[in-house]
Amino acid sequence: MKHPLDRPDTKPAWCPGCGNFGILKLLEEVLTELDLNPKNTVIVSGIGQASKTPYYIDTHMFGGLHGRALPVATALKASNPSLNVIAEGGDGDMYGEGGNHFIHTIRRNPDIVHIVHNNMVYGLTKGQASPTSQKGFNTPVQVKGVSNEPFNPISVALALRAGFVSRVNIGNYAHAKMVLKEAFLHKGYALIDIFQPCVVFNKTNTYKWFKDNTYELESSHDSSNLTSAMIKALEYDPIPIGIFYQTESITFEEYLREDEKKALFSLTHDMQKIQEMFEEY
Amino acid sequence: MKELKIPFQSTIANPPVSLPTHKKQEHSNAHSISILIGGAAGTGIMTLENILSDAFKQSGYFVFSTKEYMSRVRGGSNTTLLRISNAPINAPCWNVDLFIALDTDALSHVEERLTDDTIVLADEKVTHEQIHITNIPMLKTAKELGSANYANSYASGVLFGMFGLDRLILSQSIAKFFNEEIKQENKGAMLEGFTYGESLEMIHIPKLPEPQESLTESMHLINGSAAAGFGFLAGGCNMITSYPMSPSTGVLNFMASMSKELTLLVEQSEDEIASLNMVLGGWYGGARAMTSTSGGGFALMSEAMSLSGVSETPAVVYLAQRPGPATGLPTRTEQGDLNLAIHSGHGHFGRIILAPGDIQECIDYGYLAFELADRYQMPVIYLSDQYLADSISMMEKIDFSAYEQRRYIHTTDSSYDRYKLNETGITPRGIPGLGDGIVVSSSHEHDERGQSTESYHVRENMVNKRKQKIDLTISEAYEPSVMGQGSIALIGWGSTKCAITQVIKELDDSRLFHVHFAWVHPLNPEHLEILKNTETNIIIENNVTGQFADILKSHDLKIDHRILESNGFSFFTDLLKEKLSNIIKDLR
Repeated sequence: MKHPLDRPDTKPAWCPGCGNFGILKLLEEVLTELDLNPKNTVIVSGIGQASKTPYYIDTHMFGGLHGRALPVATALKASNPSLNVIAEGGDGDMYGEGGNHFIHTIRRNPDIVHIVHNNMVYGLTKGQASPTSQKGFNTPVQVKGVSNEPFNPISVALALRAGFVSRVNIGNYAHAKMVLKEAFLHKGYALIDIFQPCVVFNKTNTYKWFKDNTYELESSHDSSNLTSAMIKALEYDPIPIGIFYQTESITFEEYLREDEKKALFSLTHDMQKIQEMFEEY
Repeated sequence: MKELKIPFQSTIANPPVSLPTHKKQEHSNAHSISILIGGAAGTGIMTLENILSDAFKQSGYFVFSTKEYMSRVRGGSNTTLLRISNAPINAPCWNVDLFIALDTDALSHVEERLTDDTIVLADEKVTHEQIHITNIPMLKTAKELGSANYANSYASGVLFGMFGLDRLILSQSIAKFFNEEIKQENKGAMLEGFTYGESLEMIHIPKLPEPQESLTESMHLINGSAAAGFGFLAGGCNMITSYPMSPSTGVLNFMASMSKELTLLVEQSEDEIASLNMVLGGWYGGARAMTSTSGGGFALMSEAMSLSGVSETPAVVYLAQRPGPATGLPTRTEQGDLNLAIHSGHGHFGRIILAPGDIQECIDYGYLAFELADRYQMPVIYLSDQYLADSISMMEKIDFSAYEQRRYIHTTDSSYDRYKLNETGITPRGIPGLGDGIVVSSSHEHDERGQSTESYHVRENMVNKRKQKIDLTISEAYEPSVMGQGSIALIGWGSTKCAITQVIKELDDSRLFHVHFAWVHPLNPEHLEILKNTETNIIIENNVTGQFADILKSHDLKIDHRILESNGFSFFTDLLKEKLSNIIKDLR
């Protein structure tokens, strides 16, 4: 289905039925409904099936290295705080290869939206375990089934007091849209972990499995309470989806730039001042 | 969208910038004395270096100082060397005229550098069977004045007293480096030392050269880290993201200290991988960003170097070398990472490597690193090393307004293609949020728009585009400095410059001349012609194989002799002179 934000003359390289199609549509609709100017919006991605998303949506993009979208996005936002900056990639990209950046980006709290496509498997490299693969999941590499404890991005983000921590299921589209909008409206780092199926390499965690094994957080859930958020984050059967936790604090670029928010490209140093600093040094 | 003015907007069509010409003074033949100070880390040896450098400079002398230290915060045995002269000598010597030992360990640490003529001053408690020591009551007096910590100020006083220099000048220097609470005590200790020094008549005191106030007065005392930092600021650096690593941290600290006064974003990254990816994110957004690191950290940046190459995102990397492999000698020096800098990253892409040789070049090439990264949309590596970064020398005042400012940012229209092919290989660089275009930057092989492609035609075009950029950097490369003329070329790059200059002066052999490369990669073959007309080419490098020599050989130059060191020290002028003498005495 065409959307005005589709990048002209492109054709997604995903498999038919892939959950990524839904996430592409979701992002296009949310950007449109929030009236975010695509010419003032940048998607930074890494490598993987999920990281192909910005090649199909007509905003600015920086397609970087596997695992490294977050540091690029962080510095980009600081260089021009008026841009809407999104970091997007898959579970292997963001939680595996880029795990260290995940931790430290949360600590920095840049005002970016961090979209992670979580299908619990490696797609681009054809079916190996991802950090979020469930125990016992059989792959051509994990031949005896996955033994590693699945990475829980929600509890990790909460342990680091991330400003906005959420998880959705792309199969529950209306709910996912509501949460993604909130992620964009949040000032500071916002994690949205999106369950999606890989229709080729993960025959366990299917659309049906995600539907049967998730539930929306109750309206009584207090998303300002870190302790109750953590209790919810550790629930597994079924898995809660929604906004676990939200709190605002000073952002990375506010700390660095203080009141001065102009794009760095429009500013220059006063050479007279540097001359004085040199002479006093 | 609101159009923002791009300051100093320029394009590739303008010829490359010229570096400012700096004031040059004529100097008489240098006469110098060398003073070595040895002691444990954490005992104030660096403060003493700063005080004495400043005080000798204020007394009208040219001052050079350099340090060698162990990879520990307290203890061990470190030294600082000062050369005091009537003309610039910006390189160390091995044998010293005067040695101040702050403890007994210092004596055994530097034993080999002492000659029969070396005067050794040490505390009363320091003894040695072979070495003649002039004992001074450093610790006793300092303790009487309140703390053993004042011993260094006492020693500085002894030195000034011995030489009959002005104690007021020394007192002012002391005041600069100590805070209010201990300023008076240190001045007191200095005065006690001064009186003691004046009365030291029994020893043969080395003669100080004639002071040159008229020449030194306007000059500036600065180390290689700060000079590099001022250069980066002159180049418009407004973002630095780094993981601390010796010996590069001096630049990070310097930039952080400047960030209080300037719009200069400083972030300590979680690792070097993040550092360089942040740099790329910064440039993509319109910042002028850099990172600072040493060999081990730079090794982690290889993949992002490659990303800078394919995405044509500028980057500046300050790489302060130390001896490897792996952890190697963390606080010592080497020119061992030239090949790493040239070859880091997978795939074929252009890069420029600059290696300044003195304090003035540290500033010039810091400026140039940003200009060139922006101009050619590729990574620029600024190669320094522990020796250059940590050494303090004097330079003429410079005029920062003489560094031409340019910004190669392009306001896009709706038809903008980030990788549009053209005759130069350089596509005007759009940035997000400036103009009506969409800026698609990609790590994949891409078409003109930036979209991933596997078309072999497009691949060929893009490989050629990146090659065109390399060809352009070769044709626009900055020339090496050729100092003098003759039949025997002494070739160096980076931090060996001043040692070679000084040795040529001392040897006073009309056959010798000096070719110094501060632009080390890629080389323009036309610039090498001068080395094809020589009788003998001698290369001097601080690494085990002669990495630069091999590059020159690949350009069909003959290299007749290689003077190589990789022991953790930089070149000492007296030792280098001896080696060179042995080589050239057999030459016609």
